[in-house]
Amino acid sequence: MISFSPSMQSASYLTAPDELSDTETELAINNYCLFYGQQQALFDINMKIPKNKVTALIGPSGCGKSTLLRSINRMNDLLPDCRTQGEILFAGQNIMQPNVDVATLRRMIGMVFQSPNPFPKSIFENVIYGLRVRGVNNKRRLDSAAEDALRKAALWDEVKDRLDESALNLSGGQQQRLVIARAIAVEPSVLLLDEPTSALDPISTLTIEELINELKSTYTVVIVTHNMQQAARVSDYTAFMFMGELIEYTDTNQLFTTPSKKKTEDYITGRYG
Amino acid sequence: MDLKIDNHISGQFGRELESMVSHVLDMGGIVEKQLNQALQAISNEDEKLAHKVIQEDYKINAYEIMIDQECARLIAKRQPAAIDLRIVLAIVKIIADLERIGDETCRLVKAALEQFNNSEQRFLVDLDHMGQQVLKMFKGALDSLARMDSLAAYEVYKQDKKIDVAYEAITRQLMTHMMEDPRAIPRIMDVVWSTRSLERIGDRCQNISEHVIYLIKGKDVRHSSTEQIEAMLKPKG
Repeated sequence: MISFSPSMQSASYLTAPDELSDTETELAINNYCLFYGQQQALFDINMKIPKNKVTALIGPSGCGKSTLLRSINRMNDLLPDCRTQGEILFAGQNIMQPNVDVATLRRMIGMVFQSPNPFPKSIFENVIYGLRVRGVNNKRRLDSAAEDALRKAALWDEVKDRLDESALNLSGGQQQRLVIARAIAVEPSVLLLDEPTSALDPISTLTIEELINELKSTYTVVIVTHNMQQAARVSDYTAFMFMGELIEYTDTNQLFTTPSKKKTEDYITGRYG
Repeated sequence: MDLKIDNHISGQFGRELESMVSHVLDMGGIVEKQLNQALQAISNEDEKLAHKVIQEDYKINAYEIMIDQECARLIAKRQPAAIDLRIVLAIVKIIADLERIGDETCRLVKAALEQFNNSEQRFLVDLDHMGQQVLKMFKGALDSLARMDSLAAYEVYKQDKKIDVAYEAITRQLMTHMMEDPRAIPRIMDVVWSTRSLERIGDRCQNISEHVIYLIKGKDVRHSSTEQIEAMLKPKG
């Protein structure tokens, strides 16, 4: 098990709040660098992501926050000229090692993208897709897993009478919650959300935010968002990134009232640029 | 330290914040004028001016309500964060203090409505002396806000001790006089209340300086010792 030690590496980047040092770590990112060909996209990132908390990554477009999020479940493997240095520890293991089974990793670290991407199947089949892939075919088990995941995703009451309808008939907000349910159904430990509400209307956004708040009792959530008020509302900890570097990572309340770095202050008050 | 508040990407937001701060300074200007006139009225025993001060208090109240509304509107529309949020929060508190200073000024000026005999004139001189100290403190507090200068605010903060000493000294003299001449008590009580009002205005100025330090440094220094505040204001490294 990884624990927060008071002497964090490269502590100059971080103001580690006392609270953070008491919480159990889910993911530890150590001296992590990422290159797209010759271009370096992430510079020496050091971050401890606490268990059962919501951690938000904010920063201007192109600052590397999505790249970092994708690194956590090895989505960057799909790019041919992408190289990395440093390590990301999950459950005591460096997930960047080549011998890691990426399919297993992605089952434990689920991801939800910006625009909802349900499969052209029924609502039910969408939710249990991950289980089917794993070879689970027991009807009763699938039924209960689907109900459980849909309830956790706060969608059950809206779809319980039409599980056989196409998922594409759902509204945008419902589709996004369906995708979250699909990610939850395989019982991951970590949920990565990449701008999960940027394609949704304000009410659906609030529903998803409410959901994130409930999900953190079971999962560790990492969310990338362009909406700073959203980061302020849903997260416990916030990391501000700029030009591939982690500028400030601290308690959300502190970051949004008294940030310690000038760059953070300029960004969250809309003075950046 | 120069805090820039107008360099927002949203120019409109920057202008709104700026205009809010300048409204607070306008309000402060009126309070300053009132306080100054109240002190003049007392030292010249000018009843007419005293009545004018009491009548003009409504302007300060109106400013408080207007700025409060501006703050509420800005929070609703802009969701300010960090320094912007602290500006709004500090302003809400500062204008409450300014409004109370206005009220205290009306109480203070009542000493000008009383007739004092020759032996009692000296109290008015003492009162004026203390009043000038308070006025200086008030100007300093407003100035530290206008320049967004936390060190200047701290200088104002420290002045409150002097005001407290002056308050005690005057009160002691007034008590002695009342013991010597009980018939003077009704008149002297007015001076007691005026001294008390000045002391309270000093406290309010200290509050304003605390809000200015909070606004700039992000640290709430209320109920802190001077050593703690000094340590906080000292540049790091």
